[in-house]
Amino acid sequence: MTGAKPYLKHVAISFAVLIILCGIVFAVFALYQNEIGDQTGYLQIACFVIAVLASYVFYLLLAAKSRGEMVVWEATKQLMVSREQFKRLYEDAPVPYVKLDLKGLIHEPNKATLRFFGVLPEEIENKNFFTFHPDEDLELGKKLLQRFTLNVPINREEIRMITKSGEVRTILLTVFETRDTQTLGRMGIASIFDITEQKKLDKAKTEFVSLASHQLRTPLATMKWFMDMLLSGDIGELPDKQKEYVQKLYTVNGEMAELVDILLNVSRIEIGALVLDKKKANAVDIAESILTELSSQIARKYLIIDKRYGNALQDITTDPKLLRIVIQNLVSNSVKYTPDGGTITITFTQTGSQGQIIITDTGMGIPREQQDKIFTKLFRADNVRTQSAAQGTGLGLYLVKSIIEALGGSISFTSEEGKGSVFTITLYSL
Amino acid sequence: MDKVVKKKILVVDDDNNLNSVLVEKLTISGFDAIGAHDGEEGLAKALEIHPDLILLDIMMPKMGGMEVLDKLRKDAWGKTAKVIMLTALEDVNLVAQAMEKGSYKYIEKVQHSLGDIVKQVEAELARENK
Repeated sequence: MTGAKPYLKHVAISFAVLIILCGIVFAVFALYQNEIGDQTGYLQIACFVIAVLASYVFYLLLAAKSRGEMVVWEATKQLMVSREQFKRLYEDAPVPYVKLDLKGLIHEPNKATLRFFGVLPEEIENKNFFTFHPDEDLELGKKLLQRFTLNVPINREEIRMITKSGEVRTILLTVFETRDTQTLGRMGIASIFDITEQKKLDKAKTEFVSLASHQLRTPLATMKWFMDMLLSGDIGELPDKQKEYVQKLYTVNGEMAELVDILLNVSRIEIGALVLDKKKANAVDIAESILTELSSQIARKYLIIDKRYGNALQDITTDPKLLRIVIQNLVSNSVKYTPDGGTITITFTQTGSQGQIIITDTGMGIPREQQDKIFTKLFRADNVRTQSAAQGTGLGLYLVKSIIEALGGSISFTSEEGKGSVFTITLYSL
Repeated sequence: MDKVVKKKILVVDDDNNLNSVLVEKLTISGFDAIGAHDGEEGLAKALEIHPDLILLDIMMPKMGGMEVLDKLRKDAWGKTAKVIMLTALEDVNLVAQAMEKGSYKYIEKVQHSLGDIVKQVEAELARENK
């Protein structure tokens, strides 16, 4: 649409019609005034009024038409602006976009795509997008093309792409459905989200934790083995007192190794490097192995262990190593903080794919005013710090909560100081 | 154990202290234990003396344990050599890799006492004799 706005044009036309009609009325009256013999001028006024009304009706008709045209005019203008905006957005977006036809051929790659592949438009247009993969991902590329042609959604699929210079980059591929502007046939807009740097960073973080744990654990293993040599009598028997001291060193070394494990697990969680390895597991086996591990402490304190496993949680899907850390921490807390002769109850329940692990003790409990802090890092309740000889890092329950959340579960507790605590873990989709 | 039937154990670990204490313990336990202090030296010694069992650390400079195991498996003798992997930390992926390459045992150093390791060595040697 060009020129002035249509309603202005129609006002002008209607005005012109009014003038012409009035002109005709006056001319006719000027010619026939005497013949008609009308001296009053009523007829003249009536004709004039009719001429005005006629031109007004004419104007209304034109205005109605112009309003319709206006709507179309405005809509077209908006459409053009938004199309222009979309085009700019598509072409200049920092994210690589390409249009794909049903064969997977590339059309209209945007600037970011050209930068990503390091190519000119003609080097990539009409080439199959799903062939720009390193050899090991070609099969996956084929599958994705198949999904695209069958109209199965492709949403953030990780795949590696190969650029003109031969560099391999990892991307998340999403394909939206769209229509070709000319033929209206089905097409796709593929968005390429480059996660290469993120991957490198994740790898570096994981490697750091792994290296740190290696470096921290090696001297602990060395100390442990030299103490083994001293204690075993292989190089001569130690006098009793010396043996007792080396035994103490041995215990502390073991605690240190445990602490390193906890710290590493905490840092794995904090840098997001905790990898879930879900498989078939039996929580009863896990609990039993923990109880065996803690058996000497349990015996020393004459603790009663009440096992209520039922038939629950014996065939579940979870990360057994992480679940072990969780149960181990909770049971070992109960063992540490329950006075001699107390009872620790381990209850398992399961309904379908949802299960609960409940650890109840008759221990020191957690002071009410500190209960909201127990899952925070480095927190130790006042009563355990002042009344208990047991060592603690203040990391155990923080770790437990973080792991449970990573496993997709939840943890809650009730506790009364001097009476004991009940920790309940709920796990879903087992 | 009679000197003539002493089994040869090669200990490949870059940590000198760990290596020496392990060699000493194995010697005391009646084995002919020899130490190597990096992957390259370990591989060369293994191919030269054909030990009855290799205790192989995973993380080492120059050549890591996994690479040593790879190269060993390409050798006619090394194909069937008994290997126990040693590591400072357990890693599920590494366990899987080591199993694939025919190492059936995997010892996380800090979790095991020297006595445990001698038992594992004896068990692995017995498996060979079957």
